[in-house]
Amino acid sequence: MQSRAFRRGCLWACLALAASGFAQEGYPLTGTWSGDWGATATQRTHLTLVMSWDGKNVTGILNPGPHSTPLASVFVDVSNWTVRIEADAKDASGKPVHIAAQGRLDDLGSYHRTLTGTWSEGTAKGDFKVTRE
Amino acid sequence: MKRALVYLLAMTWAILGAFPASADRSFSATYDTERQVTLAGVVTQIEWVNPRAFVRIDVRDAAGTVSNWAVEIGNPLDLERDGWKRNALHIGDSIRVEGLPARGRAKQAFAKSVVLAGSGKRLFVASNKPRASAPAPPAPRWPDGRVSLGPPPGQTGYWGAANVPSLVETKGAPISMNSDGLLRNLSDAGRVAPFLPWAQALYEYRQRSLLRDDPASRCLPPGGPRQFQTANGFQFVEQRELGRILVLLGGGDRNWRVISTDGRPQGQPDEVVRSYYGNSVGRWEGDTLVVDSIGFNESFWLSKGGLPHTEALHLTERFSRPDLNTLKYQVTVDDPRTYTRPWTGGWTQQWVPNQDIQEYFCEENAESTFIR
Repeated sequence: MQSRAFRRGCLWACLALAASGFAQEGYPLTGTWSGDWGATATQRTHLTLVMSWDGKNVTGILNPGPHSTPLASVFVDVSNWTVRIEADAKDASGKPVHIAAQGRLDDLGSYHRTLTGTWSEGTAKGDFKVTRE
Repeated sequence: MKRALVYLLAMTWAILGAFPASADRSFSATYDTERQVTLAGVVTQIEWVNPRAFVRIDVRDAAGTVSNWAVEIGNPLDLERDGWKRNALHIGDSIRVEGLPARGRAKQAFAKSVVLAGSGKRLFVASNKPRASAPAPPAPRWPDGRVSLGPPPGQTGYWGAANVPSLVETKGAPISMNSDGLLRNLSDAGRVAPFLPWAQALYEYRQRSLLRDDPASRCLPPGGPRQFQTANGFQFVEQRELGRILVLLGGGDRNWRVISTDGRPQGQPDEVVRSYYGNSVGRWEGDTLVVDSIGFNESFWLSKGGLPHTEALHLTERFSRPDLNTLKYQVTVDDPRTYTRPWTGGWTQQWVPNQDIQEYFCEENAESTFIR
């Protein structure tokens, strides 16, 4: 039991060290973000967003892997740090579905900054929250 | 609202201008300059530690509850230069402190005055006597005539603080800021550097939040020009036989940086491993060391004050030593993902003779300050 607690402590310590080691102070959206979206607090769908800044545009992908979706556009209003993301994916049956998200960057100075707002996928609508990993 | 914010920043700057920032962390983010605190208590501990000396005192409140306060009294090197020693105060002495309280609920203060109860003697007062200023001897040189960036043979010394608080583009009128790089007037932000819109917005955010998220305050290494802005100074160690120059940093956890001077070409940006100090190759142009660096990570602020950058950062630094006591530093910042064009800034640094960099590790002093 004590050993398990010790191992868990070590794991958290390593994660904390890793987080500080990869702190990102450049373009605020650059990096990997994870979280979820859904219409209710219990019906949630996992989200992973990977974004990078090339000096002119933010590019990225949604849910990297075999079913990943490139982000069609990412617009950032730096006057209030709001973000609009659009992508065209396919639903479970293979039908095209448009994704649109509107959110706000919070805790900008933190390594674990967050992006929260509204998310729509086809006719489904809900809220989303992703945190920079 | 905006005008009120500018006014608040201006007032903060005006007050902070009177206090030194002798730490990796931002003074502005640590202490609340809008408030004052008066403490009377008994000394329980003296931490004569570089770069910030602390005295801990037990303070009893009206209800009889005793709490231990950490009182920052300044940089021990500066204190010793003013004639003060650790034994100016002893454990058990009763003192009265007036100062600035820390932000938040930490029992910590920055002392504006320390008075020994009983005798009424004021302690740790800065000397008003001007420091000796003899004409500077010429820069030391190697037997082949090339200028040396280190101490003259048989002597010690290191490079001290920069003469300006933050890197700004060297054109146009000077920009007022405090020793943390906090602008007196936030509307000057656009004159600091040719920012892209996102970078200026982020810079202004950092300024408005009093630089509280500075990675250096979490003991992360100070990359880029920031490495020459630490309170603890730095040294060049020229290993000519190995074709490299080491930069030994007194701040940022006593890191080092390697500048290759063996004629190797600069690496390809996509191939170098990204790091705090980047991949540096140097060459001499007469008496000027020119250093080209790429391969930076995005985990640090380029300068005090919160200048941002991306992995596309490319620095060209020029170091020259016109006399023994002066190092001229000029840096050209080229980061097209952050700035609209390359720009140049710089400063001079002063030689600290007959001393070595004191041992200091950011983490151990951070423990004693408990402001993170």
